[in-house]
Amino acid sequence: MTRILAIAKKEIVDASRDRRTVLTTVVSAALAGPIFLMLIFSLLANQAEKTRALELAVVGAEHAPALVDFLARQQVTVKPAPADYEARIRAGDLDSTLVIDGEFEKDVAEGRAGTVRLVFDRSRDRAQASIAEAESLLRAYDRSWGRARLTLRGIAPSVGAPLEIREVNLATPRQSGALVLFLVAFYGLFATIIGGMAFALDATAGERERASLEPLLTTPATPLEIAIGKWICLALFVLAIVVITLGGFYLTLSYAPLPAVGVPFLFSLRDLARFVAALAPLVALMPAVLLWLGSRGRSIREAQANAQLLLFVASLVPTAQMFLQRKEPWWLIFVPVSGQYTLLNRVLRGDGLPLLDFAQSAGLPLALTVVALVLFARNWSREAVLAGK
Amino acid sequence: MIAVDGLAKAFGAKREIRAVDEVTFDAPDGAITGLLGPNGAGKTTLLRMLATLIVPDAGRASVNGLDIVAERDAVRRRIGVLSDARGLYTRLTARENVRYFGELYGVAPKLVATRTEALFHTLGLSALADRRVQGFSQGERMKVAIARALIHDPPVIMLDEPTNGLDIMSVRALREQLRALRADGKCLLFSSHVMQEVAALCDSIVILGRGRVVAQGTAPELVAQSGAATLEDAFVALLGSGEGLAA
Repeated sequence: MTRILAIAKKEIVDASRDRRTVLTTVVSAALAGPIFLMLIFSLLANQAEKTRALELAVVGAEHAPALVDFLARQQVTVKPAPADYEARIRAGDLDSTLVIDGEFEKDVAEGRAGTVRLVFDRSRDRAQASIAEAESLLRAYDRSWGRARLTLRGIAPSVGAPLEIREVNLATPRQSGALVLFLVAFYGLFATIIGGMAFALDATAGERERASLEPLLTTPATPLEIAIGKWICLALFVLAIVVITLGGFYLTLSYAPLPAVGVPFLFSLRDLARFVAALAPLVALMPAVLLWLGSRGRSIREAQANAQLLLFVASLVPTAQMFLQRKEPWWLIFVPVSGQYTLLNRVLRGDGLPLLDFAQSAGLPLALTVVALVLFARNWSREAVLAGK
Repeated sequence: MIAVDGLAKAFGAKREIRAVDEVTFDAPDGAITGLLGPNGAGKTTLLRMLATLIVPDAGRASVNGLDIVAERDAVRRRIGVLSDARGLYTRLTARENVRYFGELYGVAPKLVATRTEALFHTLGLSALADRRVQGFSQGERMKVAIARALIHDPPVIMLDEPTNGLDIMSVRALREQLRALRADGKCLLFSSHVMQEVAALCDSIVILGRGRVVAQGTAPELVAQSGAATLEDAFVALLGSGEGLAA
C-alpha cells in the first residue's frame, strides 16, 4: 500500500511538472464549454431572429389583397419591393422578393391558378431560413385556400391532400436545448479520454522509451502495484479535467451574456454534480484502458495509434446514439460510454440520477477497469518487456 | 555473496539462442568480481537473472543464501542493480529520483534523507541535488543512477557495463566509489567488455564467451592458465579470438 501511494505521488509530481501538456489539456478543457456555447447560441439567435421577424418585399401587393392579409396575420412585415430587387438579392442585401402577377385576380376569378413568383438566391446561406419560411407560408396559404374550396363542395380536405407533412425544426427552442445538452454530454465523455491520454502514454510507453522501466521493475514494487499507483494518479487527473470541462459549460450557461434564444435549459450546480457522478465509472475505466494500451507500446509514438483508435470509437458512440431516433434497447445502459451517455441524457431531462440505472451503468466499466489494470501489469511482467530500449 | 550454479537461459521460438549456458561461479563478499566478455556473451542476461527480472530455464543461483526464484522478494531487497538501462525521470530532481526508489524499497524517510546526503557527497552530486535531471550530463546521470541503486544500502551490488559512455574523470570517480564499497565488505559484481577496466578493478575475473564460462580466476591465474604473457593475450587465447577487445 505504501508503495502504491509512493508510485501515485511520484506520478503526480512528474506529470504536473510537464507544464506544456498540463497547460494545453487544462486550457482546452476549460475553453470547450464557453467557445462551443457561444457559437451555438449565436447561430440559434440568428436563425430565431430571421424566423421571427420575417420581412417580405412584395411587388404587386394590390393584385392579391387576401394573400397579403394572410401574410400579415402570420407576423410577416410586408413592404413594397425596391425597383432593383433582383440586383439587391444578388448582392445579398435582400433575402427574397414575392412578385404577384398582374393577372392574378383575373386568373383566379376565371378558375385558373394565380401565379406568384418567389425570387431568391439559393446560394446565400444566411438567407436560407427566411426563404424557407416564405416558401412554407405560401404553401400554407395555398393549402388552406384549396381546403376551403373542397370543404365548400362537401369533400374532405384529406381527399386532396392524402399526405400530411409535419416538419420538425431543430431551431425550435426545445430541440436546440437538446443540441446544447448533447454538446455538454459529449464533451464530458470526451474529457475522460483526452484528459489522460498524453499522461497515460508518458507513464507507460514513456518509461520504456526513457529506459527507466528496467530499474523500476528491479525494485520490490510488483507490476500490479505499479499499475494501480499510476492509475490512481491518472484517474485523479482525469477527474479534474472532467470537472473543469463541465464547469466551463456550467459557468458559461449561468453567467455568460449569451443571446436569449429561449432555450429552456438549466444546468444547476446539482446537475453538474450528477454529471460528474454519472461519468465516474469512465473516469475509472478510461485511464486504465489508456495505461494498458500504453504498456503495449515500445515508444510513445507506437502507443499513440492505439490510443487514438480508442478516442475515435468512444466519440462515435454518443454521435450515433444522438442520430439514432429509435427507442434505446434495454441493454444499452450496461455498455460503457453508451450507458453513461444514456444516464447523462436522463439527468438533463430532469429525471435526476436513478440509483438502479447508475449501478447498471457502472458495473461493466468498473469490472473492465480491473481487467485493464491486470492486463497492464501482465504486459510488464513479461520478460519481453525488457527487450529493446 | 552470490553463488551461481549451472544457470541457463535460452531465447527464440525454439529456444535456439542459448544466451547463458550452464554458468557456474561464486562472487564473495568484500570483493569485486568481474564478468568479462565480448558483446553478446550473455552478461546482461546473466545479470537480469540474478536481478530476478527474468527466470532461468535451468540451474540455480542464490544471493546471501536466498534463492533467486523461490525467494525473489527477499533477494530484491538485498541487491542494488545498476542495469544496462538506467533511465532517470528527467522532470524530477536528482534527490527526488533517489527518494522515489528509497520509498519503493521501503526505506524510512529519515534514513533516505541521510543516505542521499551521504551518497551525493561521495559522488560529488551535492551541488546538483535539487536540480532537475533534464539538463544533466551523461556522467552526472550515471552518478544519480548509482545513488539510486544504493539507497537501500544493499549488501550485494551488480553493475552492468557501468562505464559505458563515461569520460575518464567519471570512470575514475566510479572506481573510487566501488573500491570504497568493497572496503565496506560488499559483494560487487561488475560486468564489462573492456578488459583494461576489469583488470584495473576486479579481484577475480569470470570470462564469458557465447554464454559459457571460458575461464575464471585472478588476473595472474588467468595469465598462468593460458600460458600467455599478458592478460590481454590470455583473454584472446582463452576466447579463441580477439573479438570484442576494442573498448
